Amino acid sequence: MYPPIPQLPPPPAPVVPRRTLLRGALGLGAAGALAACGGESTTARTAGDVTLSLWTHDPGYQAFFTQGIPAADRATDFRYHLDVTRAGAADLVTKLLAQAVAGRGTPDTIGFEIGSFPRMLRGDIAPRLLHDFTADIAAVPGLEEDLLPARTAPYSQDGRVYAFDSDTPMVVYYYRDDLFTKYGVPKDTPTWEEFTELGARTHRDHGASLCVVSTAGSDVGQVVGSFQMLLYQRGGAFFDADQNLVLDSPEAEEVLRFLCDGLRTGFVVDISDYYGASMQTALKQGKVIGLPMAVWYKNYGLMPNVPEQKGRWRIRALPRFTDDGSTTATLGGTGFGVLTDKANTRAATEFLLATWLTHDGQVRRFTETGYLPTRRSVFEDPRLNAVRDEFCGGQRLFSLYRTLLPDVPAVHQSPDQPILFDVLAGNLLRAYHGDLTPRQALKQTAADFRDQAGR
Amino acid sequence: MTTALTGRGVGRTARAAREPDGTAPPARPKRTWAPYLFISPFYVLYVLFMLVPVGVSLWLSLTEWVGLGTPRWVGLRNYRLLATDISFHRALGNTAVFVLVAVCVIVPLALLIAQALNTRGLRARDLWRTAYFVPIVVSPILVALVFGLFFDRQFGLLNSVLRALFGTGGVDWLGDPELAKVSIGLVMLWRWTGYLTIFFLAGLQAVPRELYESAALDGAGRLRTFSTVTLSALKPVTAFVVVTSFIGAAQIFEEPYLLTGGGPAESTLSVSMFIYRAAFERQQFGYAAAAAVVLFVLVFGLSQLFNRVLGIGRAAA
Repeated sequence: MYPPIPQLPPPPAPVVPRRTLLRGALGLGAAGALAACGGESTTARTAGDVTLSLWTHDPGYQAFFTQGIPAADRATDFRYHLDVTRAGAADLVTKLLAQAVAGRGTPDTIGFEIGSFPRMLRGDIAPRLLHDFTADIAAVPGLEEDLLPARTAPYSQDGRVYAFDSDTPMVVYYYRDDLFTKYGVPKDTPTWEEFTELGARTHRDHGASLCVVSTAGSDVGQVVGSFQMLLYQRGGAFFDADQNLVLDSPEAEEVLRFLCDGLRTGFVVDISDYYGASMQTALKQGKVIGLPMAVWYKNYGLMPNVPEQKGRWRIRALPRFTDDGSTTATLGGTGFGVLTDKANTRAATEFLLATWLTHDGQVRRFTETGYLPTRRSVFEDPRLNAVRDEFCGGQRLFSLYRTLLPDVPAVHQSPDQPILFDVLAGNLLRAYHGDLTPRQALKQTAADFRDQAGR
Repeated sequence: MTTALTGRGVGRTARAAREPDGTAPPARPKRTWAPYLFISPFYVLYVLFMLVPVGVSLWLSLTEWVGLGTPRWVGLRNYRLLATDISFHRALGNTAVFVLVAVCVIVPLALLIAQALNTRGLRARDLWRTAYFVPIVVSPILVALVFGLFFDRQFGLLNSVLRALFGTGGVDWLGDPELAKVSIGLVMLWRWTGYLTIFFLAGLQAVPRELYESAALDGAGRLRTFSTVTLSALKPVTAFVVVTSFIGAAQIFEEPYLLTGGGPAESTLSVSMFIYRAAFERQQFGYAAAAAVVLFVLVFGLSQLFNRVLGIGRAAA
């Protein structure tokens, strides 16, 4: 009834059976995964094209290094390219440690904001991850003597230097020239004690303050920073070179009492944020007409918040404390380090030396970013000394900076510094509010620190 | 159950009847891995991203580790240190306050708002619902920024209003240890109340109208109707909301981290912030892991207690 079903030809035998193909694919996948999990090559590059992975939190540094490539190409055997990653300052350290644990993906060069660097000092993190620049510094004639020890100290551990600072962030006194004249406040008052009396009077008569402390609970760095500037000026410190706590000192008590008294009289005003809306309002309304702050604050605090006050601000040295102390302190900074035992370690080190640390590089750094040199000799450069600052009414600021240079104090950091900042910030605020005396606040800070450090 | 047993019995009988005929017993189902393969992605991910991290945290809590290199075994040392750490005790106390705010203030308030939104004849109902829901979708960063300006002591909106209305201002909302807690509580209230309201609203809309009519016929007043009809009907929803609010508040991080950084003087430091601080600011990963284990045990234990007390998942008698 039905025609026979024609016999179909047998299917051609596969060249590679499916199962074999599947096994092969799995094998290849596993091999790829294992290769991806492997560490990076550490065979050192000594010349030629090199792409450096650079991590930073600041676009200004990115621009500086990018523009420094031609100079680095000329000075070394490498032809540099940069692969830049930007992230928050604290996130960079977290990301670095995560990548280090993973064994791959670490940068060649990384910028540590000074407050984040103590994390690298915990345990043996710094020596395991970072290149020690001590020998590189010694190899460059004259560099060791020229480099400010005050600015290598924050990034050093056990005599080894792990990062080069971006700045000598001296603390100076900013003031409104027009309002000081209007209110009859002398602009050359030599001591803080005299300033206190003038400040109380100015606040009483005009509602303006001559000093600021931060009470931003969410930013312990700012709260501590207000105190830190005057503490280091007065000759106090948080830690000594051996990372021991030395905060509980007569100098610290004097400075804290000075600030607390200033808050009562109105000479000092508390502001929640040096950079935010509250400071902007205070500056615009003439509630703050003077403050001690680091030199970079002009570019990052005043100019963005009150550009219309261009020409009305001036900078002078801090008034001295009558008993002792110096004319300046430091606040802030960013150290650039190089990851050790990588293929690009040498290339990255030479890149930093050829851009960050040359005389011309430091001059360019100031003109492009506003950060002061970290080499003594560069402060003598006629190009820098000729610079007039329009925001400060055409002041030649480098002559001031040169006079302050010998007084720049070293800042030593400790892995337990974040703990100190946490406990100190709380006790500073309690002292400002009058809940603790300055003596009690410092004693309490030392006790809280001892309780928490080393856990 | 009876039907199933009977069915199996019938099957067995039929098979017994066939086998003596000489026919081959039915082939046993071939063991195949396919079903396991299909369900495996969930379990693989569950093991990888849930069980392994929990296990590693537990192990890490018994070590000292800076985040790099080999962790050093320290046994229960981290737990002993936690027991005497004033900061950790403060964090536990602060977290307890936030939990109380969430469970005792926000949840009842959300219920009252839901009740109001469920009122018959309410105009612009959708607008109200959206307005209450919006805070939970706003970025926490933006919330912190806005409330930071709002609470500022010198130039904040709240103090300006107080000054204009009562001639007094200068309240240090974020700088005073007690007021900072209140401020965080207010932000929690603003963010979470509307979100929880949605759950209660859904529950209220499922309450049969007949129950209210019966209560009205029985002469129950508004309060009586609310307590006997509404609350009873909402018990499962309430239980869910209470437990999830408790878990959320016990792990609170964003609000204090962004608004006060845990300050002043650790007065708003939560346990989650304590863990973050120990791990990512102080490089004390073992210590942080121990605190995380303590938080996990507390949250898990208290959640179980809530589950039992509130009868979550149990059928109504």
